[in-house]
Amino acid sequence: MSAILEISHVTRRFTGLVAVNDVSFTLGQKEILGVIGPNGAGKTTLVSLISGTLRPSSGDIFFERNNITNLPTYRRARLGIGRTFQIMHPFPGLSVLDNVVVGALFGHGNGERDLTKAREKARAQLDFVGLGRFVDQRAEELGGPNRKRLELAKALAMQPKVLLCDEVMAGLNLVEIDEVIDVLKNIRQSGISIVVIEHVIKAIKSLSDRLLVLHHGDKIADGPPDSVLSNSAVIEAYLGRRRA
Amino acid sequence: MRVLRIGLILAVTVVLAALPLFGSDVLIQFGINTLLLAVLAQGWNIIGGYTGYASFGNSVFYGLGSYGVGIAMVQWNLPFAAGLILGGVLAIAFAFLLGIPVLRLKGHYFAIATLALAQVMSAIVSNVSIAGQNIGLVLPPLNNDYLFYELSLGLLIIATLTVAWLTRSRFGFGLIAIRENEEGAAVMGVNTTLYKVLAFALSGLFTALAGGIHAYWITFIDPESAFDISLNVKMIIMTVFGGPGTLIGPVFGAFVLSAISEVLSSEVTNVAGLFFGVVVVAAVVLMPRGIADVMRHFRSSGWRYFIENLRAHRI
Amino acid sequence: MDLLAQVLINGVLLGGLYAVMALGLALVWGVLNIVNLAHGAFIMLGAYLAWYFYAYLGIDPFIGLPLTAIVMFCLGYVMQRSLLNLIVRAPMFNTLLITFGLEVVLTYLAQLFFSADFRTINPPYAGNSIAIGPLVVPLVRLMAFAVALVLTLGMWLFLLHTKLGRAIRATAQNLVAARLYGVAPRHLYAVTFGIGIGLAGAAGSLYGTVSQINPYIGATLTAKCFAISIIGGLDNPLGVLVGGLVLGIIESLTVLYVGATFGDVASFGILVLVLVIRPSGLLGKTA
Repeated sequence: MSAILEISHVTRRFTGLVAVNDVSFTLGQKEILGVIGPNGAGKTTLVSLISGTLRPSSGDIFFERNNITNLPTYRRARLGIGRTFQIMHPFPGLSVLDNVVVGALFGHGNGERDLTKAREKARAQLDFVGLGRFVDQRAEELGGPNRKRLELAKALAMQPKVLLCDEVMAGLNLVEIDEVIDVLKNIRQSGISIVVIEHVIKAIKSLSDRLLVLHHGDKIADGPPDSVLSNSAVIEAYLGRRRA
Repeated sequence: MRVLRIGLILAVTVVLAALPLFGSDVLIQFGINTLLLAVLAQGWNIIGGYTGYASFGNSVFYGLGSYGVGIAMVQWNLPFAAGLILGGVLAIAFAFLLGIPVLRLKGHYFAIATLALAQVMSAIVSNVSIAGQNIGLVLPPLNNDYLFYELSLGLLIIATLTVAWLTRSRFGFGLIAIRENEEGAAVMGVNTTLYKVLAFALSGLFTALAGGIHAYWITFIDPESAFDISLNVKMIIMTVFGGPGTLIGPVFGAFVLSAISEVLSSEVTNVAGLFFGVVVVAAVVLMPRGIADVMRHFRSSGWRYFIENLRAHRI
Repeated sequence: MDLLAQVLINGVLLGGLYAVMALGLALVWGVLNIVNLAHGAFIMLGAYLAWYFYAYLGIDPFIGLPLTAIVMFCLGYVMQRSLLNLIVRAPMFNTLLITFGLEVVLTYLAQLFFSADFRTINPPYAGNSIAIGPLVVPLVRLMAFAVALVLTLGMWLFLLHTKLGRAIRATAQNLVAARLYGVAPRHLYAVTFGIGIGLAGAAGSLYGTVSQINPYIGATLTAKCFAISIIGGLDNPLGVLVGGLVLGIIESLTVLYVGATFGDVASFGILVLVLVIRPSGLLGKTA
């Protein structure tokens, strides 16, 4: 199974801080990769590097064997990389439907040129994430959990090959978390590989095929959830060193 | 409801087109001025209202259009149409060449950069001999206000139709997405740099054409009046007053403010400007999203609309 | 060589004056996020005020500078408290528009009350010069420069080392946190704007001694102050000083070597370059 996404020795520095330090990993077809780590570990930076919002200080990123390290954000979107944002900023003045229409118009490939067809696709995605009855509301009127769904719908409307989810479960209750897990599993079923950044360990454990752990910008573990979560370095990162 | 609106707009357009037949000379001249201002407002609407980039440099496009016509007709003895084309080409070239670096800036930095560009262009043109330097150019006269009126109206109609096309096109959606959340738009596949420059060029084109018509109409241009920055501010005020990012708002704003300004200056010359300033201040405080927004919400909120605006924005 | 040195000296003296003109704008912009398009008009008002103090009360413009500054401070305080506080949390664009409206109002009022005649403040020592080697330095320009330096350094000390200065900077960074610390934002904002206008008034006094006053100088002065603020960065009064000096020197050099009418081209050209290359200014913090 060839990797759809390959991160190769990627480092990102800011003045006085190394946010991501020589991180390498791959993402396979139809794989769900969970990324965890304490706050400030560099998870969102990593996602921004993949989506194109940030450029690496050094290292390369490959998508479907093509080097995309220097491609601008919108080109990566057209190639098939979609992302949700941790701090959600929908297009506030637009309706829920129109928010998703943007994704349908401009996403993977050249998107959909025809506005009517784009609207249909947008409606389909909104139904898929469960926001069907909110289509005409203004996006800024949605509550927290629904905003998360909107983020997903927008990314899905782009028909991505890889979906980067940044803390899509934060602030949800247990029932809502289960719903999101189901939606993500359905998304994977439809052929999309997913990178999921999360804090809710229990949820991500049941969802992910593999887990990646970041700590202070370093990758400290990469493997099946069970073995990663019992890794002592990982436990130390979260809980601190055991005093004997 | 929709049919009613379109019907109303068509009726108004027909009345406007027929105005020169029964209006006085003064009225027709006022009409030309107002129509051209409305074109400017609508042009600014494209870059400022729909794309969210408040340009203080549209006066440059106006000047380029004016001088395009001026240079073509005076220095090279070309017909008016050629002058308009020259002005348009200059505007588009400027938008692409200088738009790319300047559109990378956000918010008020973009505004200031365009303001600075306007100053620079004005100063440069004052020194270039083909443009007649500081003295300016005198164009061949054409005494046909009727023609200029219909030309201006035609340009306004085209500009408005273009904006209407924007609201239902993929390009327009991209612009609005850029305005609402530029990074979000990029992440969803919008080529933000290209779209911004295209919007800037489109905005500039209409502005330049208006400048060209105006130049031929008053038969005289000089750097100070052609690149006048207060014109840019007028465009902005009219658009914002009428409702940025709406179809009719800028036109409405232009008509209303122009009429008020005209009435005042015929009554009390000095106070006209003063009143204008006061109106601007009051409008920004009470109706920051323009008249269009007031009309949209007045039915549901009534007078509370203004109070809510105040409460939301004060500390 | 002497000509070059003379031009440089002129540029430096001019730069100091420019710096103090821009100081108020940069403060209000950097701290309150209010882009004051009427700033030049306030400088103009300060100049007229100093002129009237001199013409009717015989108060020397340099000695009366604190008086002018205090009057303008009160004006600024009232303006912020009654009007500008109403739009502080609106999109930044609204501040551009409202201050533009203010600029129009102030200019017309000035035209109404002061007429369009050109005036200068001419204390008896106005024509004197000091000779430094082969160079000639007009006395008023030198005095204006000295005052400008004092004011700039004073602002720097004030913002960084006094309690009020720190409170102002804190409020700018985080309105909610400031409230939690017991700071009254409306008052503090008004004080800050007042200081900005007070500085404009002081700059106006100085301006009136070295140049001609009329109701319409506001717009160009505002534009120059913008350039200086951007070039120098909004974070730091010292940056504004650098920006002012840069602008003053470049303008003087351009006028000498290229032509009198190209002075503006140089200033605004630099502004565009700085914006495109480094929007936070020469001394400002990078994004």
